[in-house]
Amino acid sequence: MENLNTPAENTWCPGCGNFGILTAVKNAIKILQENGLSKDQIVICAGIGCSGKIFDYLNLSGVYSLHGRDIATVQGIKIANPDLKVITFSGDGNAMGEGLTHILFAAKRNSDITVLMHDNGVYALTTGQFTPTTEKGWKGPSTPRGSVEEPFNALTLLLEAGATFVARGYTARINHLSELIVQAIEHEGFSFIDVLQPCVSWNNTYKHYNEIVEIIETEPSNFEEAIKIAKLRDRLPIGVVWKKKQPVFHDALYGNFNPTKNSFSREKRLEFIKNVLT
Amino acid sequence: MKKEIFTFIVGGKAGEGVKKAGSVAASIFAKKGLYVFQMDDYMSLIRGGHNFSVISTSEKWISSHYMNGNVITCFDKRSYEMHSDKLAPEGYLIYNSDEKGDMDGIGIPFSSEAKKYPAKNLLFGVGAVASMAAVIGMKLDDLNETIKHEFSKGTIDNLSYAKTIYELTSSKIDHVIEIGNGTNIRPIIFGNQAIALGAIASGLNVYYAYPMTPASSLLHYLAAHAEDIGLAVIHAENEIAVINMAIGSAFSGARTMVGTSGGGFALMVEGFSLAGMTEAPLLCLLSMRPGPATGVPTYTEQSDLNFALSAGHGEFLRIVASPGTIEEAFYLSAELLDLVWKFQTPGILLTEKHLSESSMTVDLKLDEIKIINPEIYQGNDYKRYRDNEDGISQLLFPPSSQIIKWNSYEHDENGITTEDPHWISRMHDKRIKKINSLKTYMKKIKTVNIMKGDLPLNIITYGSTTMSVLEALKYRKLTPTVIQPLYLNPLPIWELSKFKDQINIVIEMSSTEQFANLLREKVGYNIKKVIKKFDGRPFDPIELSTMIKEAI
Repeated sequence: MENLNTPAENTWCPGCGNFGILTAVKNAIKILQENGLSKDQIVICAGIGCSGKIFDYLNLSGVYSLHGRDIATVQGIKIANPDLKVITFSGDGNAMGEGLTHILFAAKRNSDITVLMHDNGVYALTTGQFTPTTEKGWKGPSTPRGSVEEPFNALTLLLEAGATFVARGYTARINHLSELIVQAIEHEGFSFIDVLQPCVSWNNTYKHYNEIVEIIETEPSNFEEAIKIAKLRDRLPIGVVWKKKQPVFHDALYGNFNPTKNSFSREKRLEFIKNVLT
Repeated sequence: MKKEIFTFIVGGKAGEGVKKAGSVAASIFAKKGLYVFQMDDYMSLIRGGHNFSVISTSEKWISSHYMNGNVITCFDKRSYEMHSDKLAPEGYLIYNSDEKGDMDGIGIPFSSEAKKYPAKNLLFGVGAVASMAAVIGMKLDDLNETIKHEFSKGTIDNLSYAKTIYELTSSKIDHVIEIGNGTNIRPIIFGNQAIALGAIASGLNVYYAYPMTPASSLLHYLAAHAEDIGLAVIHAENEIAVINMAIGSAFSGARTMVGTSGGGFALMVEGFSLAGMTEAPLLCLLSMRPGPATGVPTYTEQSDLNFALSAGHGEFLRIVASPGTIEEAFYLSAELLDLVWKFQTPGILLTEKHLSESSMTVDLKLDEIKIINPEIYQGNDYKRYRDNEDGISQLLFPPSSQIIKWNSYEHDENGITTEDPHWISRMHDKRIKKINSLKTYMKKIKTVNIMKGDLPLNIITYGSTTMSVLEALKYRKLTPTVIQPLYLNPLPIWELSKFKDQINIVIEMSSTEQFANLLREKVGYNIKKVIKKFDGRPFDPIELSTMIKEAI
């Protein structure tokens, strides 16, 4: 496990929910390695925000992308080399605001990527504005009289968009979260975990979540049931909300072909051009 | 009689096969060993409106269409009204007599003859080709072969309709126009196809785009041939996704390209800057159309030069180059894809609708494409942003046991985020060192075309306007030196400065003289006159030659 650490100084606030995610990811990678996955095959991306800082704290290869664009970047990595296992770390502002189009389309095309959404319901790094998933009435620097918008429900949005693996986790249930991350990465297709992540500085939800979070005992067997669970607000079920098998994007597009590894030789390319020109 | 340059214009409504008729005519000329240039003028609509195709051909190299036609075939009234005054002396104006009563020219009942067949409107294109074939004295058997080969559906009806139109036209003309012959049969390719072939030669693996005229035909061409050459071709949700996916693919080691026009490029600019920061090798086709905003989607302009030169916030190396001809588009596309990999930075292949969508006969030398794959790091102490002397850090791709981190934030050599003043300035220096490394490299390659003339006068132009200029200089005994920079950033000042105090005329398609201003600001050019056009239409060579004469 030591080799997943980097020398980067950790700048999260003491008690930040992100520490739970970092630990769970390290646990999950250990389990994945035991299951036979090489660490070299894992590539990560991150958006911008407190969530994205995890990029510097994990000794894994990848691209620290732009705000919201990590979901596009990570798909590009996979498309060019489908052998890689790709994961991106997005905040709720990142994935549901700036990156909303990208995540909906990633789900729609069943891109074989994993999106971990660090859902703290606040733009923490930019001093506490409301996000697309913040409850109505939030008083922040951009909404001093309280936000007047209803929040998005990330789970139902992605279910409707065609996500083939949708789950919710909680940073204070680290073992449960670790298992979920393993399942999400092992899932073939688009996998999404909405990770409830308290922000100790702007939106400390530990007490609230501890009261209403409950583990899903039986995974929903049909889509309607999944939607019903995803819509619950007075209690927050954690676990796998929905999963199904479906052909993944790159397979549907070009089968077993790997555009980078199987790149055509210069001779073949010139041959093609000669044919076009005659 | 024989024409040195023969021009065929065919006009009609969208959906009537105007462009196809133009391409078939072009192919007839090319098969005679002639040089050909085809320009398609079409509106942003699917059915109706007015579209026309102009094909000029000659025994000598030709780089433009001509707006005066030796044969003008009009399917409808609107085409007749638009083109009837553009008939060259001793030319033939062929019109659809079912749409317009007795007029000047040769009336052919295109519609009533077509109504005898189930395909009706689809036959107009065949008819246009048949009428032109009659005028140039093509044998009916040869016409039949062409029709069979070029029009895949409804061959029997096509041949029967073609024969009717051919015979009707032959009976009404009083002379045949000879167009000559050549010895070499050359392929005809369109600009975006040349760009695609260049990129394929240069090792393209992945192409992303969101449809936008006039770049879409690159997407369509690559998508159609993806399997033949092992490409991943993806039409993503928007241009923002396009460029960010492309950066991801470059990280995986794929030679990646994206393509769009001004509005789409505006969306890509954020990602363009990311490519600068992460040092992602990335090539973008930016095919200009008149702006601002939606502008005039299917027409041409050179108004995004400044935008391309300064695209993306922050300071980084942007390579910008623009081909002057369709042949050059092939070589430059290959060279640029190679350069962005050598220097690990984003590059723009800047062109226009006029080059992207026009077609011409080409002589391509494939051996001239020399690609050297970048050296992959072999040691065991990999640092993505190792601060080498030339500013270029070696690449390594996953999967690897070593850590490869590309970072959008300012970073240290390992790609870890930093706010340390030492690293901020050092990494700025590292990226800027690449500009000088590139300039050193560029001094060894061709960066400016200089076509020596014998007048004490220079014409400076770039992009597809070069094709118009070269054609215009065939007239009025105009022999200035033509200077055409291929590279616009870094601008090859070392080549261009030799001419700055001479008598210079700049020709470009921008209302604010962007190109002339670049030469003034960066090279201190003394410019006597700027000839400019910004109505969406490329120059006609005769019109341009008059303008040049007046400027001299």
